Amino acid sequence: MSKSITQTNESQGGIFHWLFQDTMEGLRRRRAVLGYLFLLPTLLGIFIFTAGPIFVSFGLSLFRWNIFRPPDFVALDNFERLLADRRVIIGLGNTLRFTIMAVASQVSIGLILALAVHRINRVWLRYYFRTAYFLPLLMSGASVAVFMGYIFHKEFGPLNYYLTLLGLPQIPWLTNSDLVMISIAIISAWRNLGFTFLIFLGGLSNLSQEVLDAADVDGAQGFRRLWSVVIPLLSPQILFATVTGVIGALQVFDEPYIMTRGGPGNASRTLVMVMYEHAFKDIEFGYGSAIAIVVFLMILIMSIVQMWLWRSRVFYQ
Amino acid sequence: MSAEKKMSRRDLLKLAAAGGTGLVMSGLPVRVIAQDSVTIKVQTAGLDDNTLQPVADIMIARHPHVNVEWVVLTGIDHEEVAAKILALVAAGESIDVGYAATEACQLFAGQGLAAPLDARITSDPDQDFWTDFFSDVHPSLTEAMMYEGSLYEPPRDFNAANMYFNTNVLAENGFDVPGEDWTKDDFVEIARATTKKDDAGNTEIFGYAWTNRLWGSWMPWIFVAGGNLYTEERAPGGDWVWDGYYDGDMAADGRGGGFRWREPVANSPEVVEALQLVVDLWQEGVTPDIAMGTGQTLTGFYSTGLLCMTPAGGFWAGRLGNEGMAKGDFDVQYWPNWRNQKHQFGTGGHWLSNTSTAPDEAWEFMKIEVSREGFDSSIFFNPVIITTPSRRSYSQADAFEPTGPANSDVFYGTLDDHPSTSPIPAPPWSNPMTTIFTTYTGFAMSGEMGPQQALDEMQAELESLTNRQPDYYGE
Repeated sequence: MSKSITQTNESQGGIFHWLFQDTMEGLRRRRAVLGYLFLLPTLLGIFIFTAGPIFVSFGLSLFRWNIFRPPDFVALDNFERLLADRRVIIGLGNTLRFTIMAVASQVSIGLILALAVHRINRVWLRYYFRTAYFLPLLMSGASVAVFMGYIFHKEFGPLNYYLTLLGLPQIPWLTNSDLVMISIAIISAWRNLGFTFLIFLGGLSNLSQEVLDAADVDGAQGFRRLWSVVIPLLSPQILFATVTGVIGALQVFDEPYIMTRGGPGNASRTLVMVMYEHAFKDIEFGYGSAIAIVVFLMILIMSIVQMWLWRSRVFYQ
Repeated sequence: MSAEKKMSRRDLLKLAAAGGTGLVMSGLPVRVIAQDSVTIKVQTAGLDDNTLQPVADIMIARHPHVNVEWVVLTGIDHEEVAAKILALVAAGESIDVGYAATEACQLFAGQGLAAPLDARITSDPDQDFWTDFFSDVHPSLTEAMMYEGSLYEPPRDFNAANMYFNTNVLAENGFDVPGEDWTKDDFVEIARATTKKDDAGNTEIFGYAWTNRLWGSWMPWIFVAGGNLYTEERAPGGDWVWDGYYDGDMAADGRGGGFRWREPVANSPEVVEALQLVVDLWQEGVTPDIAMGTGQTLTGFYSTGLLCMTPAGGFWAGRLGNEGMAKGDFDVQYWPNWRNQKHQFGTGGHWLSNTSTAPDEAWEFMKIEVSREGFDSSIFFNPVIITTPSRRSYSQADAFEPTGPANSDVFYGTLDDHPSTSPIPAPPWSNPMTTIFTTYTGFAMSGEMGPQQALDEMQAELESLTNRQPDYYGE
């Protein structure tokens, strides 16, 4: 007994001695420990609120569990089931289609708007446009979905009202299987445009004047200047906007759920919606977790692939 | 004599600490709770936060040691509120009293989340209360809140799918509100005649509209065509309520211990025919594109004269009044006769949680809500009806006097005068069932699938879903 106590005291003394040694080495250790202490709250937050739920979700995905009865271990059955689940496959297809449409429009229109606003000399006008384009992003997805549902209503929506005044037919924006995902992508792009716009505007303001002057001296003007000089210089912002846009788009839920609840049929049912329905409506938390893991892996892989594809095309000044 | 006193650094620190503590304490809500006080958590949906306040006031006046805490959960429709309650439970939160319509009653009962109320009712010393309550509530409402022989919710309100008419649109086309024996063919004639299109063929006034959901929707057509989504049978049991409280009531004869919806029959010829009817009306432009939801959008179109007919219950009376529709601008009639005139309804009420830490107080709250005093003070029923009261004596013509409709006796008459009236199918797996129902309805109503194909695929999915369920119903 007394031997073990002595050993503990020695080991404690050893750690204190190691840390508080009055040498450069000890100082470096203290600085390192202090750094880790500063990191600790963030790491704890990530572990508890991000990594922890991911691990728990992965664990849950191996069970069949309806929260009211004890969980049954089913190994990889849930993953096997989702490979044959038509709704999951449709949800995946819809999500990918939405992602391509939403991100392409967000990035391209955001870039065009940023280029246009960057050329405006009046400061107050620039502030005005910056605020106007960013404002929709401050609104909740749910409220945007509710009022856009009215605007895009086929028979009674103001959008079709004005189209019919122009002699055009009423368009079933949200009730036609071929159109519904396009409509939702338009609405999503409208809401998220402000983010990419602001990123690009910030990037344009920080472009190297020396490079731009050199381009002028070399005679690069107009589209040539934009394509060969400005866009390559904006490539870090484009990469950032694309990667974050794809991450957000792959998790789309609010707009289609509130406006169409996945309809008509399954035409706007997204993967996250399928996950929600299985977990919270069908009370199949294990299966819902398996779908969540698939969404997570999809986002991870697509982010890595994007970074890899862009590795030789991004120029950091 | 100098009384100068220097403040030491330690004193300053003490003062700062005391001041800081005081500031923090003053920022916290002051809540003095007596030693024996009890808090009950009552789940409410949307407006219920306000609508239940009078019940809480009565409760607190009678039992000052009880605090009522609201757990507000909103949703587009009943199944979404149910999903949120499940999410709350999954997150480890508990409630004492929850609200559920027919859509989720068996869901909570079947999962063991809701507690059976039989023993509480039969052993209640105040038997006059229950004799009065059940004598005032139609037995079909009570039966719809039962599961495997036990009652899980005393019904507070109900809504049967009746047909609402915009009387101005009817009159402009030379029609009166049809009689109670009107038929499906009469309906189609009125729907077609009241539909108005512009030169380009766009419909400006629709004869008929509905929303894609379980209650209302095209489900009433399924019933009158002679079909259902699931086979409908009665569980044994429930004698304690039929013999004990409904003895002598003819309407209680043959009732059991709640409904069992075992086998999906979604692609029967009757259901196909019903879907074909609403698809045809949509293709003709009589009905607009069908959207999801509870019909708030339709309320606006209806009140502005852009729509002639739509399925709704007593809840629409007050809402149309609130939308500015004058008394007499709308009326109501039973659902038209087709092969039969079997109506559908859904009922709602509060359930007692099995995990309640204060079940006696929670039960007292539930009792007050369905008492006469509770109904007298309920914002659901006063000053206008925004959902049909389950008590017959509160659903009479005088209750609808401020808003109309003139035929308000149709609401309770759907129960009293139509013995075949049944609840919408809502087994314990009603949430995923509803998703399947609305999904394939959407396929048919967007023209992506024909009615037969949509219902064949709906049937296949319902069979797969039903086979995945544990045995919720006994032999």
